[in-house]
Amino acid sequence: MSESLDTWFTREILAHEASLMRYLRRIWLDHAELPDLRQEAYVRVYEAAAKARPLAPKSFLFTTVRHLMADRVRRQRIVSIETVADLETLDVLVDEITPERRTSARQELRRLSRAFERLPEKCRNVVWLRKVEDLSQREVAQRLGIAETTVEKHVAKGALLLAELLFGAKADALENAAAESNHDQVQRHRD
Amino acid sequence: MLQLNRIMIKSNATEIDEVAAAWLARRDSADWSETQRAEFDRWLQSSTAHRVAYLRLEAAWQRADRLVVLGAGHVSAPYPGRLSIRRSYAQALAAGVLLALLGAGWLVWRPMGTSYATAVGGLQAVPLTDGSNITLNSNSQIRVEVTAQERQIELRRGEAFFEVARDPTRPFVVMAGNSRVIAVGTKFAVRREGDDVQVIVTEGRVRVERDSRLPPRAPVALLAAGSIARSGDTGVLVQEKSLAEAETYLSWRSGFLIFRDTTLRDAAAEFNRYNTRKLIIGDPLIAGLRVGGNFRSTNVDAFVRLLETGMSVRARREGDDIILQGS
Repeated sequence: MSESLDTWFTREILAHEASLMRYLRRIWLDHAELPDLRQEAYVRVYEAAAKARPLAPKSFLFTTVRHLMADRVRRQRIVSIETVADLETLDVLVDEITPERRTSARQELRRLSRAFERLPEKCRNVVWLRKVEDLSQREVAQRLGIAETTVEKHVAKGALLLAELLFGAKADALENAAAESNHDQVQRHRD
Repeated sequence: MLQLNRIMIKSNATEIDEVAAAWLARRDSADWSETQRAEFDRWLQSSTAHRVAYLRLEAAWQRADRLVVLGAGHVSAPYPGRLSIRRSYAQALAAGVLLALLGAGWLVWRPMGTSYATAVGGLQAVPLTDGSNITLNSNSQIRVEVTAQERQIELRRGEAFFEVARDPTRPFVVMAGNSRVIAVGTKFAVRREGDDVQVIVTEGRVRVERDSRLPPRAPVALLAAGSIARSGDTGVLVQEKSLAEAETYLSWRSGFLIFRDTTLRDAAAEFNRYNTRKLIIGDPLIAGLRVGGNFRSTNVDAFVRLLETGMSVRARREGDDIILQGS
């Protein structure tokens, strides 16, 4: 156990959030429950990994979330056919050499820059000053003429939104935008 | 922290996320006391749900460190050349009306600052009190307002080159048409033709934003050294060039125009920015001829002589105009 569980978890589990959420959105009809499902799955995986790290982390994550969904369906007294597609069909082929792994540094940067663009303006300014100009929260407050507590709130909001945009439910929207940008780039080369 | 404790009692994932975000933001600030650290550790250890939520946000927040790379251009990966703004005609119209209203207000309450202007063929250095330097190109006008809080330049016409003294407490903002160019310590040029704005960065990094009063979600472009960006009504288009190539666009600062495989049409347009005697292409067949070389921007005669001797082009004078034709 040379590396910490936290580091392992970030690299091997959180990296799959986009495909996990894509999968969940397809089969779990009540989307309001998705953040809870995601979190429960993370908790179970983290606690299991504290005892022994799974050899195939992505499969383990998906298996865990399938069990969770099955539990939820069973707990509901009236099982609506619509709650979830037939659980037997929930199996997905999980490719351990994941697309996430193959994402190039350039694509990651592109995704990041798109996520950044989608932040609300004030929040974006705070993130820019904090991350790019490397100002402290206090300096950011001075620069923008706002209270330090307000800066702190924008940082909190920025972290939440970036997590959604980079890993979560909103990551797909970014992917679509990226596909469109390829079109933009073609035009750019012609320019 | 009282607030944090109160929310903590609930267990919904979204609420845990919010508490985790609040902790992350508190840790990100400089004042992080031992008491807070202990309180944070207690929170983190009290539930795996807390820990995974925190890890997730921390990973996202750390990834944002790479914005520096985007901004500073340490990668050869081009910043995605955004950006088509998709918005309906109605929205655009509404934006225009809103802008007109706000614009009127803007003029009323911000008539301050100092103006500088150059005539056609002129070149002027404008040193600022903060240590920054501005070089005004031919036929250009700026309004400068430097206060204790901000450094604001409005490019009203033409082109200017900015060498910005580093000052983290006062942003250096150039407004041109509907675009805002925001600099750190850096060197860049802004050229304006109506609302079409060209930005060339030769050092450091700048951010180009569309007017924030223009809905929806104005796109933002981060420009590294070597970038040439055009910002207009349709968005921002970014080209990554070599630094040397970007510099050739700025040769006007030493009074020269540098052409490399430039069409005669573009070369003539460049000369016309610096001279009252205008080059007019009287024959569409020669407009696409390619020219190269270094020319003094005000010496249009030397350029014309070269065309006549080297490229089978004839020049005819008509008043102040020089008409170019094929021979």
